[in-house]
Amino acid sequence: MTEVMDFDVVIVGSGLAGLRAALQIMKNDEGKLGIRVAIISKLYLMRSHSVSAEGGTSAVLYPEEGDSMELYAWDTIKGSDFLADQDVVWRFVNLATDEIRLLERIGLPWNRRKDGKIEQRWFGGLSFPRATYAQDKSGFFMMRALYDTLLQYDNWERFDEYFVTSMVIEGGKFKGFTAIELKTGKMVFFKGKAGIIATGGNGQLWRITATASSTTGDGYGIAYMAGLPLEDMEFVQFHPTGLVPKGLLITEAARGEGGYLINAEGERFMKRYAPSKMELAPRDIVSRAEMMEIAQGRAATDKVSGLAHLWIDLRHLGKEKIEKKLPMIRELGLKNLGIDLAEAPLPVRPTAHYTMGGIRTDIDGKVLNDGHGSVDGLWAAGESACVSVHGSNRLGSNSTIECLVYGAIVGDGIYKYLEQHRDKDTALPKERVDSEENRIFNGILGKESGGEDVYQIKNELKDTMESNVHVYRTEEGLRTALVKIQELKKRYRNIRVDDHRPTLNYNLQHALELGFMLEQAEVVTMGAYLRKESRGAHARLDYKVRDDQHWLVHSLAWYTPEGPQFKYIPVNITMWKPVARVY
Amino acid sequence: MNGSDEIILRVRRFDGTREWWQSYQIGLTGVTSVLDLLNKVREEKDHTLAFRQSCHMGTCGSCGMVINGKPRLACQTNISELDAGVVNVEPMHNSPVIKDLVVGLDSLIENHKKVKPYIIRGKKEEIFYAPREFEVTQEGTTQFLQFDYCIMCNLCISACPTVTIDPLFLGPQALGQAFRYLADPRDEGWAERLELVDDDHGIWRCHFAGACSYVCPKDVDPAKAIQLMKKELLKKRLLIRRGKKGAEITEPLQPHFTEEKLTAAPPLDFKRGD
Amino acid sequence: MANDSIWKRLISSLDPRHYNIERWSYTLHRITGVVLILFLIAHMVEIFHISLGPESWAATLALLGRLGPLENIGLWIIAGCVFYHGANGLRLLLNQVFGLLLGKPRMPVYPYTPTSLGKNQRIAIWTITAVVSGIWIWAGLYILAGLGIV
Repeated sequence: MTEVMDFDVVIVGSGLAGLRAALQIMKNDEGKLGIRVAIISKLYLMRSHSVSAEGGTSAVLYPEEGDSMELYAWDTIKGSDFLADQDVVWRFVNLATDEIRLLERIGLPWNRRKDGKIEQRWFGGLSFPRATYAQDKSGFFMMRALYDTLLQYDNWERFDEYFVTSMVIEGGKFKGFTAIELKTGKMVFFKGKAGIIATGGNGQLWRITATASSTTGDGYGIAYMAGLPLEDMEFVQFHPTGLVPKGLLITEAARGEGGYLINAEGERFMKRYAPSKMELAPRDIVSRAEMMEIAQGRAATDKVSGLAHLWIDLRHLGKEKIEKKLPMIRELGLKNLGIDLAEAPLPVRPTAHYTMGGIRTDIDGKVLNDGHGSVDGLWAAGESACVSVHGSNRLGSNSTIECLVYGAIVGDGIYKYLEQHRDKDTALPKERVDSEENRIFNGILGKESGGEDVYQIKNELKDTMESNVHVYRTEEGLRTALVKIQELKKRYRNIRVDDHRPTLNYNLQHALELGFMLEQAEVVTMGAYLRKESRGAHARLDYKVRDDQHWLVHSLAWYTPEGPQFKYIPVNITMWKPVARVY
Repeated sequence: MNGSDEIILRVRRFDGTREWWQSYQIGLTGVTSVLDLLNKVREEKDHTLAFRQSCHMGTCGSCGMVINGKPRLACQTNISELDAGVVNVEPMHNSPVIKDLVVGLDSLIENHKKVKPYIIRGKKEEIFYAPREFEVTQEGTTQFLQFDYCIMCNLCISACPTVTIDPLFLGPQALGQAFRYLADPRDEGWAERLELVDDDHGIWRCHFAGACSYVCPKDVDPAKAIQLMKKELLKKRLLIRRGKKGAEITEPLQPHFTEEKLTAAPPLDFKRGD
Repeated sequence: MANDSIWKRLISSLDPRHYNIERWSYTLHRITGVVLILFLIAHMVEIFHISLGPESWAATLALLGRLGPLENIGLWIIAGCVFYHGANGLRLLLNQVFGLLLGKPRMPVYPYTPTSLGKNQRIAIWTITAVVSGIWIWAGLYILAGLGIV
């Protein structure tokens, strides 16, 4: 029989959102209810991909210097190409300030000005320099501060290297997660009164990506397969400055500090695409500009990989400023290409970076099961959730702060929920757990020979997404991708795992991840195929303009065995009507 | 490096009972780092090879292993810098091997927790309920910034000869982190933390071989932290220094997470022209 | 390695290959330290015989005399251990008690070269090596002079 772990709260994902939620619960509780929290990670807790966030995180810190909540909200909504839910944005910007300060007080080394105040810098699409930063390792330091601070509480337990395979919802109520303990290969059931999905994004669907090999979007897969809708998945952010050839992230702060983007002719090409903001236009616009330069033959070519690319030039900033404010990207350039960006420009091109969409939640982070009702006891936060703060394009510096704000909101919401749900639920969904065990251990692991290779399918998927579901999309390309994904899905049913040892079976883990990835790829591609307009990060060459009359709507996708089923719901517009988006 | 070049990768493998060296010959196309090489072997030659990885940019600390005799991060070790036709890869030393290149990190995590790695304040409620940030200068930040770079990759522990002899030693990672908080201008746990590290398996076990700092991929320099902490501990024992006052916040405390902020009404009069 | 016997672990802790010079000096410091302790114990046993009366002491000296040139060579090695352990111990005192030769906490700049293993430390170590070698050679001339070896 499967081992059962019984907790009050089960948090899947140990990045910023998950840890912030846990901290909020600990802080609210302080021994009052004795809430017991489990934090599950498929890596180690402090290794989540949030550590790789670089440039900064936005908040209005010193309104007396000219910034305001309204301005921040406006920037976010305009950046989202008016697809963000405005009531959500308003709450989000109002809570951001406290988060920055809280993190300072738990030990984060924000860069400081001479007067001891926290320093902020420019980021793309902002009207005021409000990206708060700790060198260009902001996400790393945030994770460190949160992780370390959590260590002073002892009513939580860590589950490192547990891979969650599915979620159990019965009668509209969250029951728990099934997971594989990777070290032993055993199935475990995490039973909880409340659950949080905070598993991050799915950048690994693409060949060139800035994200870690762990960002396979498992949370999306888990929710989707449990019958919950995914929202706005067609909007995928491509970061304009991924280091060629792998796509490692060169932070937007490089441009925020004054870096130039230049093409092969040495020209600052952004003047053609965003004459007033130049390099500091939002990411979708800069990425499109780069792809356009590449398409029009003004790009350089990487000798080794053959990739077309542009240059990011920081030489004029001076070595001292770079060492003080951007040390990590200098290290990346030196380590990967042997290029010191204080002395030479770095080759960059768009790289898969962030999923604007995600598990549909209400303004409190509670997961919704259709347009209206919510799942009792289930929350989602961070990149895996779609509240939606970011609409169709996230502004740089808004992701980490969303994790913090929504981590806190969700933690707070769960605490209130648990205050009212003290009763003990002893029922176990034994059948569901057994069938999941059967699916994995007999269905996938039990196959002795023959069948399809995990990595073969994964690589074909990545290549398909890279060439057809990228910055610019066309009906033809999307159709090609859909056909290919459906073929891969069919082949996946005959998947083979070569490693049959129970201990640390990464081969099995990759096979399960691939199953989730294929489902998500289909949702992303189908969503993009159906959305016949260009908005934010979704740019169609055959439908070049934004169509507010028909498409000012969120897309929702449900799982069916035949493929995703789509439905559209209106955007919450409470403050500003959409206007033309020019930078 | 030429795309048609081949290299031999030798991996120290372990399946729970048996240990052996396994060799793979593999092309270098598309390979920069040792991690790329391992991934290529796993995808193309041997799906059963076990190793950890995640961020590929030296920030998450997953891929620590002993490469050609020295503990390093696989993603941060380029094949070209090894300058050898054979790459020998072993699991990190001083930690129990679970499978192939994967080691157990329980003691790393427990020791880190033991040194109270968080801001300790005389008034604990300041952390959650102060209305603003502590006033700290950039110089104040520099006192601990370097030690805050720690990615918990376990390489220093793999390198430390004292951990080899005394498995209960707190180790360079935890001691380095103790100093990180000790040196933080906001922290007031100076005396408390010094007592924690002055233990049979604590700070005086370190004889300054410096191997931890030598292998650290992030310039945390645990050896420096530990020696500087010994000096602080002596000051405490000789009664030269008695405690530390942290940076201050003078404004009155207030609730941090209020209903008011959760339900703030949207602005009606704000107009944006563009 | 974590499951190895204490002897195996001891040997591997003293193996500085692939590592920094400070770790070589750590190995030497430990080995010279152990040699000195063994010598001190032997020496105490030796002078203990004085308390047993003149005959006992004479017998001890005669026994040592039978070692011949080995005694001088042994003393020379002991002298080397004293010089090295003493001089290197002074450096370690500077490091560990006074926090010197380590550099200050700083903003890391890539490529990372830890200051605790930096220039000052190297100068100290090489100076110690040079001075200790010099004195040791001189001591060798002095101790081994009567043997006709030098």
